[in-house]
Amino acid sequence: MGNRNRTNRFTGLMIMACAGLAAPALADEFTQEDLQRWQQEYRTVVDRGEKLFHGGLPSRNTVSCDQCHPNAANTHPETYPKFQQQLGRVAALRDMINWCIRNPLESEPLAADDPRMNALEAYITQERRGVALAPGKH
Amino acid sequence: MNGRFCTAGLLAVFTAAASAAPLGLPPVPVPADNPQSPAKIRLGERLFNDARFSADGKVSCATCHVPAKAFTDDLPVSKGFRGLTGTRNAPTVINAAYMKTLFWDGREPDLEGQSKQPPVNPVEGGLPDHAPLLEVIRKDPGYVKDFRTVFSVEPEDIDMDQVAKAIASFERTLVSGDSPFDRYYFGGDSGALNAAQQRGLRVFTGKGRCVSCHRIEQTQALFTDNRFHNIGVGFRKIRGREQETARQFLQAKRAGAKVDVAVLTREKVSELGRLAVSGNLTRVGAFKTPTLRNVARTAPYMHDGSLATLEEVVDFYNNGGRVRESDPLSPFLSGGIRPLGLDAQEKRDLVAFMKALTSPGLDRLATRGGRNHD
Amino acid sequence: MTDPKRRRLLKAGGALLAAGSLPLSLVELAFGKDRREHFSFAYLSDSHITHVRGREFVRNWDRGLIRAVAESNLLDPRPDFIFYGGDIAQLGKPEEIDHGLEILSALRGEVHHVMGEHDYYLDLGEHWRKRLGPDHYSFDHKGVHFVVLNSILTFDDWTYHRWSSAAERMHQMARLDNPQGSPFMVGESQRAWLKKDLDTVSHDTPVVVFSHSPLQKIYKGWNFWTDDAEQVQALLQPFDKVTVLYGHVHQIQYNQIGNISFHAAMATAWPWPYPSSYRQQAAYLPKLTVNMNRADPFFERDATGWQFIDLDSGKVDVHYLLPGNRNRVVAWDGKAGHPVDTRYQAEADRIPPQTHY
Repeated sequence: MGNRNRTNRFTGLMIMACAGLAAPALADEFTQEDLQRWQQEYRTVVDRGEKLFHGGLPSRNTVSCDQCHPNAANTHPETYPKFQQQLGRVAALRDMINWCIRNPLESEPLAADDPRMNALEAYITQERRGVALAPGKH
Repeated sequence: MNGRFCTAGLLAVFTAAASAAPLGLPPVPVPADNPQSPAKIRLGERLFNDARFSADGKVSCATCHVPAKAFTDDLPVSKGFRGLTGTRNAPTVINAAYMKTLFWDGREPDLEGQSKQPPVNPVEGGLPDHAPLLEVIRKDPGYVKDFRTVFSVEPEDIDMDQVAKAIASFERTLVSGDSPFDRYYFGGDSGALNAAQQRGLRVFTGKGRCVSCHRIEQTQALFTDNRFHNIGVGFRKIRGREQETARQFLQAKRAGAKVDVAVLTREKVSELGRLAVSGNLTRVGAFKTPTLRNVARTAPYMHDGSLATLEEVVDFYNNGGRVRESDPLSPFLSGGIRPLGLDAQEKRDLVAFMKALTSPGLDRLATRGGRNHD
Repeated sequence: MTDPKRRRLLKAGGALLAAGSLPLSLVELAFGKDRREHFSFAYLSDSHITHVRGREFVRNWDRGLIRAVAESNLLDPRPDFIFYGGDIAQLGKPEEIDHGLEILSALRGEVHHVMGEHDYYLDLGEHWRKRLGPDHYSFDHKGVHFVVLNSILTFDDWTYHRWSSAAERMHQMARLDNPQGSPFMVGESQRAWLKKDLDTVSHDTPVVVFSHSPLQKIYKGWNFWTDDAEQVQALLQPFDKVTVLYGHVHQIQYNQIGNISFHAAMATAWPWPYPSSYRQQAAYLPKLTVNMNRADPFFERDATGWQFIDLDSGKVDVHYLLPGNRNRVVAWDGKAGHPVDTRYQAEADRIPPQTHY
């Protein structure tokens, strides 16, 4: 997947999100079919994230994310960015994902633009849908 | 932070301009019932350096906390009266003002409580109780004058609380930040750390996980979490004897044995760490996280002074809490202590970074202490 | 100087903690208010020893069990015995069970075991039973009747006909949030055995039941659940003093249903979030429970631990020893008629609770 493609998709998602708020009056640039397809595209990434979360990441010691976080519970994505004492700074959710990969999983952290990081964030956030944003909260 | 603490502009004592905390440190917490004053600080400094407060007249606070040695003594474990040794390494007094508990096992909650113990410990000051110390003060015209000024008391009313308050006030002036790290991290001076030190900072906050206990935050860095951890130091001294040592000590404690005497005079009891203070079975061999500020000047390291250099310290952590990889691990080891997998370059960088934690004002602090030495 | 209140607290902190971590009360209570003798036992659970490759096991889980064993060996006076609450292994492998039992062999005292689902679903408990004996049994100790149940069985169809291999079955059951999972149960034959076992016990005898899963229904999605819990509770209903102690949930839980007190054990391996923190499903955590906090996940032992239990007049006080957190005591409150957290039960006494999860 090229970077340009990803950017387009991201833009698409943003438009969809805005359109969702403004529904039902859709502009003529995209159709119901587009919306469904984009939702499916999103689900694909969430599902990939779910698999990675449940043992799909290369883990040097076989430990997986779901062992401590069933249904991604206690990952509280809505509280990021926030001050994280393990890192000594305000961190994003992906910083904590990498912290977990490096420590409990004893493995190599993912690059920030790794599609797997994207998928993990999508799954974690999907499992927490409906909760209000509370950045910085402990 | 407790509501009764206030933050006095005590640093004005040092430099005309300084009214805020040094770069990288918060304002010094000052208890409401012991406000800073120049006269009290001067009195505290004199008391700090007075060797008459010991059984052989040769041991003062400054004996183990030598101003010219960054307020430590370069020794693995400190020497008290008649050269007697205890079990613990003298930590620096610099920045002790920020500690939430005092002593390696946190057995005192504040500086005021801390300074009362050493004069009457059998391997430190060696006095039977505080009476001889107070007697020296009450018969010293200089002290009588100063106590009258500072505490408005006549000689017969001078007590240990006042002595301890004055010493604590002096110690609260021994703060130092503004290290190359502070200038780089908080001061926006990207040239303050060299390349190795910058890499070392990344190891410190990343793969080395040092920052988890030696805390750096967004606007300040105390380099301690004020908590207690068993990192494996001293394990060989108590290995296999933990059960009987804990049982015997806790029984003795219930019967009235003093914690400070037991931990400084009995090597195995010392290795019980925080357990000796709290009785909590999950605190075996747990000791307080020391600050790393000025760490390059405070060798040797660890609660028992068992590691001579920063390189040895890094190896100790890299081996997961032991000197050699083949050494046994303590079963009580704190979670988080595990082999780090640092390579030779990362270890060198980490040491380079720790050398960037030395404050420029240290020598000035030392001169000040030395000038008034009795 | 630190204000007197904080100072007192810090000084007394030691004494308070000591009272919470050492059964000093045993000294006084040994002479007993009634005819039953007062005694204590230690309770370790859920170590999830995980084989990686060759002779390598997951270090984090090994260290958790090693530390709990070492700490519980410090109890003075010694507990009468030690209970292990199940899930020694992660994937039921013989080498995992053997490695866990080797670590447990350092315990000073006799150990009783409960079967967990992670010990069972690879070989249906064969290796576990070979090493540890039957999975349900009872015994009497100083006037208390102890019962051990295997509560992690499930429908035969799921166990015998659903999966292509034993390893696949084990992996499926090992995933807590598995939509293809299956609810735990004690089952008809064990319930019949239990009924017969209890027939010979007088109703004023205190009964303590050990299971791996909670013998109450909390959240089915994570199997914090036993499907025939009500039927088991009915068999226990005639007794004056009943306590159920369970593992599996890796968190502090306590509850009171009629005459039955429930207490969960901490894991030595890792903590689980409370089911109420999963926002997409309803869950039923006992209202009584004051949740545990997560102090700091950097420390591998954060929100893990072990417990010792003393029995005063047949009711249970659970002392939680938590290396990364403040110790807690959940004790029987005769006036209230249910267990209470001795420090945090009242809303006003709670430390700032963790709310986000």
